[in-house]
Amino acid sequence: MAGPPVSTHTPSDGPAPEGPSADQQRQMEQAYAQMKRKMAMQSLGKRIKHKIMVLSGKGGVGKSTVSTGLALALAQQGHRVGILDIDITGPNVPKMMGLDGRRLHVEEGRIHPAQGHLGVKVISMAFLLDDDDTPVVWRGPIKLGAIQQFIGDVEWGDLDYLVIDFPPGTSDEPLTVAQSLPDIDGMVIVTTPQDVALLDSRKSIGFAESLKVPVLGVVENMSGYTLHGRAPAGTEVQIAGPGGRTHTATADDDGSFHVTLDLFKQGGGAATAEEFGIPFLGALPFDPGFVRGGDDGVHRIVSDPEGASSVAFGKVVAAVQAQIGQASSTGLEIV
Amino acid sequence: MSEAMPTLTRLERRQVDLHLTYDDGSEFTVSYDDVRHACPCAKCAPSRNDDESSKLLRRQVEALPPVKPTVRTVGNYALTFEWEDGGCSSGIYRFERLWALANRQDPDGGKPYVHGAW
Ligand SMILES: Nc1ncnc2c1ncn2[C@@H]1O[C@H](COP(=O)(O)OP(=O)(O)OP(=O)(O)O)[C@@H](O)[C@H]1O
Ligand SMILES: [Mg+2]
Repeated sequence: MAGPPVSTHTPSDGPAPEGPSADQQRQMEQAYAQMKRKMAMQSLGKRIKHKIMVLSGKGGVGKSTVSTGLALALAQQGHRVGILDIDITGPNVPKMMGLDGRRLHVEEGRIHPAQGHLGVKVISMAFLLDDDDTPVVWRGPIKLGAIQQFIGDVEWGDLDYLVIDFPPGTSDEPLTVAQSLPDIDGMVIVTTPQDVALLDSRKSIGFAESLKVPVLGVVENMSGYTLHGRAPAGTEVQIAGPGGRTHTATADDDGSFHVTLDLFKQGGGAATAEEFGIPFLGALPFDPGFVRGGDDGVHRIVSDPEGASSVAFGKVVAAVQAQIGQASSTGLEIV
Repeated sequence: MSEAMPTLTRLERRQVDLHLTYDDGSEFTVSYDDVRHACPCAKCAPSRNDDESSKLLRRQVEALPPVKPTVRTVGNYALTFEWEDGGCSSGIYRFERLWALANRQDPDGGKPYVHGAW
């Protein structure tokens, strides 16, 4: 019954090819992924028009408040905006953007940002956490590798601005980001009026020099406290402020007035900026509404767009944009 | 020192050095080797922390061919130098740094570079 032997090989088949070993296969895949990531980063550089880093030497001075405010204010102007939260140990951007508890959204190997208020795209290291109370404790190279991977793997689409919020006090993260992301427009340095914080921001300016990232300028946060009150329209109100200074304000047509008092010694940010010959981008008042906004996930400039804090924010944003748009203003002749 | 620093008004890229003119009329030359050796980037700066590695950096810089850099301003406070030969182009040179070089002073102001501590 035996017919001709049935061969499973077609004539063109030579000897079975020796496939790559599992090890080689893995290496190849890694190299390929690395290359794809690198290309992704390059195209990221092109598809995102402006990239701004927000830094400070000291923690808790308001970087995340400034980053999210900057992002939202730019979005209010109609720009396409993203915000990247690099803080692995204490990421608070998602909360401020009303995205608490979000997890990473991955599709076809690409990470897709969550959308916060005003359509701002948000990516946070917090999206990697299993639950909000367990910080990721990555150290050294693993952490920096994760950041690099993160930057290359996020699908931002086309953006006008990407704001990058950093953890305080180490230069590793900014260095990694500066090395991975091409053409960063510059860094915004946040300080508070107290001298200690100023000292730290001085160090951060020195540090900025060592990256190929220009300093866009200094923002002084928690500078003064704005009192709001009511009085008959047109009334001039006098308030005794700290340091024996009298502040006057006139109630507007609706019978509202506000006065900004210096809580700490003001003007330190401007002085540091001047000392270093870098731009002063403006001051943001101390406003408990920022804390509430941070907790409720509705930023002050969204909940109260006409308020004094939003107005101050608007000035800072305009100063940042002016700085980015400005070519050289030195009048230096280079031949 | 920064109070006393005049404003740089003209920077001429010559064969092997920069010719700098300041608004108080003073003029200086700074060799490209000096500029390169004083690079403030995070890779070069630590090399100047001790004499040995500083000399090594110096020798590496001197071994590079003399090329004219592309010079650009950064904001209103600094310059970048881009070297076509692949030499380090990462540093942002504040005008103070250039002024120190012009005056043959330590561009690092005698302070060692500390990475990761700021
Ligand atoms: N102008 C302000 N007025 C009042 N509170 C403020 C102001 N700016 C920030 N805060 C509050 O101060 C706290 C710290 O602010 P934020 O988280 O923005 O600082 P940070 O520099 O990002 O901190 P970290 O270093 O931990 O990342 C928050 O509770 C925030 O709501
Ligand atoms: Mg923060």
